[in-house]
Amino acid sequence: MADKSDVWLGTLSLMILTTLETLGPLHGYGIARRIEQTSGDVLSLNYGTVYPALLKLEQEGAISSEWGLSDNNRKAKFYKLTRTGRRRLERETRDWEQTTAILARFLSPIQGA
Amino acid sequence: MKKLRALWMRLCGMVDGKDADEEFAAELESHLQMHIEDNLRAGMTPEQARRDALIKLGGLEQTKQSYRERAALPSLHRLLSDMRYGLRQLRKSPAFTLTAVMTLALGIGGMTAAFSVVEAVLLRPLPFKDSDRLLSLHEQLAHDSHELRVTAPDVLVFQRQSKAFSGMAGFIAAGYEVNGAGAPFRARAERVTASLFPVLGVEPLLGRTFTPGEDENAAPVVVISCALWKERFQSDPHVLGKIIDLDRRPYTIIGVMPEHFAFPINAGRLSHQDLWVPMSFSPVEKKSEGDNFDYSLVARLKPGISEAQAQTDIDRVTAGIQASYPVDSNVQLHGYFRRLKEETVRNASPLLRMLLAAVSLVLLIACVNLANLLLVRAAGRRREFGVRLALGGSRRMVLRQLLTESLLLSVVGGTAGIALAVLLVHAAAFSLPDSLPRLGEIAVRWPIFAMALGLITLTGTVCGLAPALAAINTDILDSLRDGSQSSGQGRSQHSLRSTLVTVEVALATLLLVASGLLLRSFARMLETDPGFQPQRVLTASLSLPTHDWPTQQKVDDFYRQLQQNLESLPEVKAVGLSSNIPIVGQNSGRLIAPEGHVASPGEGLLITSNYLVQGNYFQAMHIPLIRGRYFDARDEQQGAGLVAIISQSFAEQYFHGRNPVGLRVKVGPHFDTPMPAITVVGVVGDIKQGPLDQPTVVQMYEPVSQTAADLGPLAGMIGVVGTMDVVISTEGDAATLVTSLEKTIHRLDPLLAFSGMQTMDEIVSATESSRRFNTVIVSVFATLALLLSLLGIYGVLAYSVSERTREIAILMALGAPRTVVLLRTLRYALMLTAIGVAAGLLASIGLTRFLYGLLYGVKLLDGVAIMGTVFVLFICAALAGWLPARRAASLAILAPFRECM
Repeated sequence: MADKSDVWLGTLSLMILTTLETLGPLHGYGIARRIEQTSGDVLSLNYGTVYPALLKLEQEGAISSEWGLSDNNRKAKFYKLTRTGRRRLERETRDWEQTTAILARFLSPIQGA
Repeated sequence: MKKLRALWMRLCGMVDGKDADEEFAAELESHLQMHIEDNLRAGMTPEQARRDALIKLGGLEQTKQSYRERAALPSLHRLLSDMRYGLRQLRKSPAFTLTAVMTLALGIGGMTAAFSVVEAVLLRPLPFKDSDRLLSLHEQLAHDSHELRVTAPDVLVFQRQSKAFSGMAGFIAAGYEVNGAGAPFRARAERVTASLFPVLGVEPLLGRTFTPGEDENAAPVVVISCALWKERFQSDPHVLGKIIDLDRRPYTIIGVMPEHFAFPINAGRLSHQDLWVPMSFSPVEKKSEGDNFDYSLVARLKPGISEAQAQTDIDRVTAGIQASYPVDSNVQLHGYFRRLKEETVRNASPLLRMLLAAVSLVLLIACVNLANLLLVRAAGRRREFGVRLALGGSRRMVLRQLLTESLLLSVVGGTAGIALAVLLVHAAAFSLPDSLPRLGEIAVRWPIFAMALGLITLTGTVCGLAPALAAINTDILDSLRDGSQSSGQGRSQHSLRSTLVTVEVALATLLLVASGLLLRSFARMLETDPGFQPQRVLTASLSLPTHDWPTQQKVDDFYRQLQQNLESLPEVKAVGLSSNIPIVGQNSGRLIAPEGHVASPGEGLLITSNYLVQGNYFQAMHIPLIRGRYFDARDEQQGAGLVAIISQSFAEQYFHGRNPVGLRVKVGPHFDTPMPAITVVGVVGDIKQGPLDQPTVVQMYEPVSQTAADLGPLAGMIGVVGTMDVVISTEGDAATLVTSLEKTIHRLDPLLAFSGMQTMDEIVSATESSRRFNTVIVSVFATLALLLSLLGIYGVLAYSVSERTREIAILMALGAPRTVVLLRTLRYALMLTAIGVAAGLLASIGLTRFLYGLLYGVKLLDGVAIMGTVFVLFICAALAGWLPARRAASLAILAPFRECM
């Protein structure tokens, strides 16, 4: 387990938003699978934790949901980005890039010198 | 914004929780199915596929729980469900709920109402700028127990010489006949120095107040009250500059004071001043050094000056005044101050302190009663809690549930209580006695409301905690076993309940004793002989302005004419006039020196109350003649010998049993002075000069026509006595004479205003109102306390009987007669009562503090009151115990055994 990372607090919603932007409307299972795959199976993710995060995003108005049919003709609840969600994703991506850039500079000080 | 939206959604989530739950179950189901299908495709067996999907999900129930918690607000959710459950429990036992809610409502309502009154009357700062810096100054003579204010000259001395005050103002009450503002009326007025309004820090609503120049030069200017402005001038904005006649002299209105402004703040509802005029001391006033200490002095402390420094300053000034007196005058003067606030509320505090004490006791009893009820109830629900604990409920959950229930009760009871308080406060505005100041300001205010809410929460927690703690200490197995009632747990709870009942009885005893004492005082007061017959006597106060009646001769002629005109009316029996009337009469004390009186060591100067009378005053008031004669026409003739009539106690105290008729007295400290001698011609019965429960003062009467002659060289000090009370005794109902009196007065002078037209019965009854109020209030509270504690006794006994059905049944099966069972149960009730009564009687010794000054004619340890209390309590306790005892005695012997088969 030590080589697998827990999902960082607060980053899960960003991952969900990115997934929805890349893949379009998707159900909870699909989102969980995608996050796991994209991380190259480095993240240890309980699929169940996706749902409270989805609910929170929906309560905040970043995503909306409706029932639809999956690829295998199974009934499933699909989530999609709202306009608020798209704006939020842009903002949070920018913030995230800034933070990582700053951190990167701290972590490799020799290059700057 | 984002957060708010989420919170709102979550709150909504609480409402449609069930639908959301179902929907999420469906979503999870579809999730699992998709995962399982994928796993099957990856080559797992069906069991493996399902297991793997569940593991990857992280547990079905856990996921649902964390989803639910996100969907709604979990703590609020728990609280709501606790409350729903609590409400259901309370609905299940309506009798308990109703009793508890009513108990609380009475306790909290009474407390809130009483505190509203206390806050408005005693605690709220006076409505003046920085009112806690305002002091009221007094002078005091050594060897004189009467409370004095200051003399007119000393008002000026203090204003000039004191250094500790940023401002000082003198004032004295006055009355004026007002013409030129509608129908003539008598105005309550105050003569004030120009400095008064600046010292108080009050600005007029319209116009301005007096200038020092106007004060010194006796300028005819007047500032009127807002009420007068509204009533008599219809709020005319151009009222400034108008002229009104005060005592037939024109005054210019220069200002209107703001609404609700009153100064000084007097007790009673109809005590607000109509107008203020400049003090403008007359030459006589300025000279009356060492006499007439009736002027009030209010002062504002300079910033940074302490009260101790103020006292030093006052001492310095009074020492100067003392030094200005003739050396042989033997006057010992010193000065002191009181805060203006304290001065205003002094007389109200004993009454309110008692009110508050009585209400606190009732609230305490209510709380104890509630705790008791909850205890009994908790004991009855032990099995329910046992089941909950056995099924894995935590003790904390049970505790939370119980606290929620008792808080729920408190909130409902408290809300009802606040509604009750609002009603009570409205009622109080009408029914509180006139002896209280600031009655118009009483209202349930926010701080009081907050206090009531605090009380509610406190009672809820305290009353809920004890039974709740007892409940969760339940031994699970024990509580589930049948017939567990006689376990040790039950017994310790039982003794707790008994203790609570004993406390209730003790508190009720305290209130009953207090109420008994007050009832006895009230009865004593009603029995008191006022010394005259108040029935069928009408009085009114008249004041002849000196402008039109400059001499005593003219005044006397007017009143003689009035007396004759009134006596010619068929229904009138006798008419008299007096400078004072009993019960409400101002006591004008006068130094008196009887002939041949030898002062015993330690005896101070002799003082007598002094009424100036005319006409058939004694006959109209029915004051009995004991010796000698009444005044008659002879005494009112020019050059008649100086005469006086004295009261019986005067004769006894100052003439020591000698027959005073024919003996002489002189006004002043000694008989050995150049003052004229006055011959005593009659002795009449004592009268009550003040309220019936106040001590009788020695009394002297003089014909008003002889006033000036009696005082000899000092006559100028009195001036013309134009203000008299007319006293009319009638054949029939005195009140029917009102219109005839009005007509008779106006036929003599259409401009003359009069006031205070009342029957003597009304006057006597009005002064009883304060004591009546006390007595009624405390008796109501005592009854309430009695009822509550009886409820407590009944509850405990009824419960203990139901607890012991089996024990009793065995006793009876073994042949114990029913009476024995009955008596045993009753004995228990009476034992609890006896302990409570004993404790209550002991505590009642401490009543002194609250009843001091409220008792009349009874001692604190009054046998009748105490015996009465004990008797009432035991009778009631026996009644309360009777019902459960009878139930115990009439138990069918076999029933309890059948129950457990």
